Amino acid sequence: MFKKVLIANRGEIAVRIMRTCREMGIGTVAVYSEVDARALHVLEADEAVALGESEPLKSYLHIEKIINAAKRTGAEAVHPGYGFLAENPNFAEACEDSGLTFVGPPGRVIRDLGNKTTARRIMTSAGVPVIPGMMEATQDLERLVHEAKIIGYPVLVKAVAGGGGKGMRVVFEDQAMREACVSAMSEAEKAFGDGSLYLEKHLESPRHVEFQILADRNGSVVHLFERECSIQRRHQKIIEETPSPVMTASLREAMGKAAVSAAKAAGYVNAGTVEFLLDRAGSFYFLEVNTRLQVEHPVTEMTTGLDLVREQLHIAAGDSLRFRQDELLQRGHAIECRVYAEDPEQSFFPSPGKVLLHCEPAGPGIRNDCGIYEGFRVPVEYDPIIGKVIAYGETREASRRRMIRALENYAILGIRTTIPYLIDILKSHEFTAGDLCTDFIERHFQGWRQSMEDADRAKIAYIIHDLASSVKASTTQKSLRRPTPWETLGDWRL
Amino acid sequence: MKYHLKVGEEASEIEVLSPENPQSLRVTMEDKGSDVSFQRVSENCLWVVADGKATRAFVAQVDDGAHVFLAGRCYLVQDADRLSLRGPRHGVHEETPREVTPPMPSVVVRILVSEGAVVKKGQGLVVVTAMKMETTLVAPYDGKVKKINAAINQKVAPGDILVEIEEEVPAND
Repeated sequence: MFKKVLIANRGEIAVRIMRTCREMGIGTVAVYSEVDARALHVLEADEAVALGESEPLKSYLHIEKIINAAKRTGAEAVHPGYGFLAENPNFAEACEDSGLTFVGPPGRVIRDLGNKTTARRIMTSAGVPVIPGMMEATQDLERLVHEAKIIGYPVLVKAVAGGGGKGMRVVFEDQAMREACVSAMSEAEKAFGDGSLYLEKHLESPRHVEFQILADRNGSVVHLFERECSIQRRHQKIIEETPSPVMTASLREAMGKAAVSAAKAAGYVNAGTVEFLLDRAGSFYFLEVNTRLQVEHPVTEMTTGLDLVREQLHIAAGDSLRFRQDELLQRGHAIECRVYAEDPEQSFFPSPGKVLLHCEPAGPGIRNDCGIYEGFRVPVEYDPIIGKVIAYGETREASRRRMIRALENYAILGIRTTIPYLIDILKSHEFTAGDLCTDFIERHFQGWRQSMEDADRAKIAYIIHDLASSVKASTTQKSLRRPTPWETLGDWRL
Repeated sequence: MKYHLKVGEEASEIEVLSPENPQSLRVTMEDKGSDVSFQRVSENCLWVVADGKATRAFVAQVDDGAHVFLAGRCYLVQDADRLSLRGPRHGVHEETPREVTPPMPSVVVRILVSEGAVVKKGQGLVVVTAMKMETTLVAPYDGKVKKINAAINQKVAPGDILVEIEEEVPAND
């Protein structure tokens, strides 16, 4: 096993990876940009190397600087986390070329699968069903408009190098197509350095169901069951769970088999996720393979009892899979809620700033993977995810109620977060019934406003706080003098 | 003493009796009185019992008011007496901004109009990005673009007027 691993990421995922490393007796090296000098992942690591300016291209996306940091500190392997360089084949290859082990699949596999149209061709030849649409990408606007007409609206515009909803747009009519493509191209160019787009037929209210896979270097592949991630906003998952409320034993077997075939066809190594769309009729279509640890991996960990980062490190170190498919079991139910530094009442605009209070949820079955702390300034430069709350329960209903309880106790002040919004989704009749689809938010939570139910109590709390702070007295001349202890203490009894 | 507080669009006047008592208050809100007892647990944490219901509340002062967290909900409470001390810039949120300014520090990615262009209310003018999300700033009213004070890749902050628009005065028939 490695003695030291560099984590080429920031935020909650870097912290999460370091925790497993520490448990395995592996030394950790953090990298950080100027604005992250006091970020949690820096404080958690055994060593930390400054990368420079905060702009991602000059820090977390700067391959050379990261490799130099690894060499200088004597790290043997690099874990990329998710986002940033995690799905950059050049980075994986640059690591291997420098004698560092990249904790993930080989560069060639990332390149094939990261190119969404190549991936679609690989899957088609392996007999895995794909969504009707283009098999190659382009930056030619006229061509995209033309193809959209052939496929038929609504179409989904997707970045060929995409992921996480960046560079993705649903287009319902011809007139909106150009602006959607221009804007998607610009977003994709910035996020992935490649603005090429392709089109897929937009399916009517499907579910997003994905399978976690693990593959070793000897070609053995297992799946760790499904995750349903249908609750999405702007194509970003916000609530994930496992098992899927609609999964049956036979569907799980069919989809699991397809996922394993997909991994084998691509020559996959390490942990990955095969994503599918599941339509109302129970047919499933290959969406893409995410060649990295997923944001939502903890729900799989909670229900299988495994630590996916540990398995990733074992596979990267050359070990064979430590279990066979028939030895894997899933037990209970887990839900994950992503917490973003966004203001749900100001159309989810990012809400960076200083965290003035951070009171984390706790209790049975609760896990909080989080990258902030009280006093930390959430920077404007990076993705607004600040953490994930995971709730485990013996049933879906137990885990749903547990999640609501946990979020109601998760106080974050100073920045706005999506917590109130998540609670209302979890409490909704449709979520409770497990009636999910990828347009769930558009259907049921468009124009959501926070309930004013507790507004009067909030005002009272404000007044108490204000009186106690006694600032008001001095600023507005309203007389208020705080009693001294000599006045409030009462009689002494000796 | 009286407080003038606003949460969202709801403004109310609250009369506080016995503000000097360190453990309880009587407040009157829209002619309805309630007795509130409380304990200050820490600088930001309160334990409040109002109308027989106990809650833990968390409060912190922020730039444009105070964040109050109660059972999973977070409210921005704005105190008129305080905001008025800080000048109009920090006033209560307006329904639709009258100025083309980013709501938070961001970077300009695209400029969709040029000087002299005639724009309609709601038309996209400038696209800015912050935390990897793009947002389009729109025209607050019909008019003519007088001046553009933004360039691509420029860092901009709230208060910077990115596009100046001469408002079209509706003709009187």
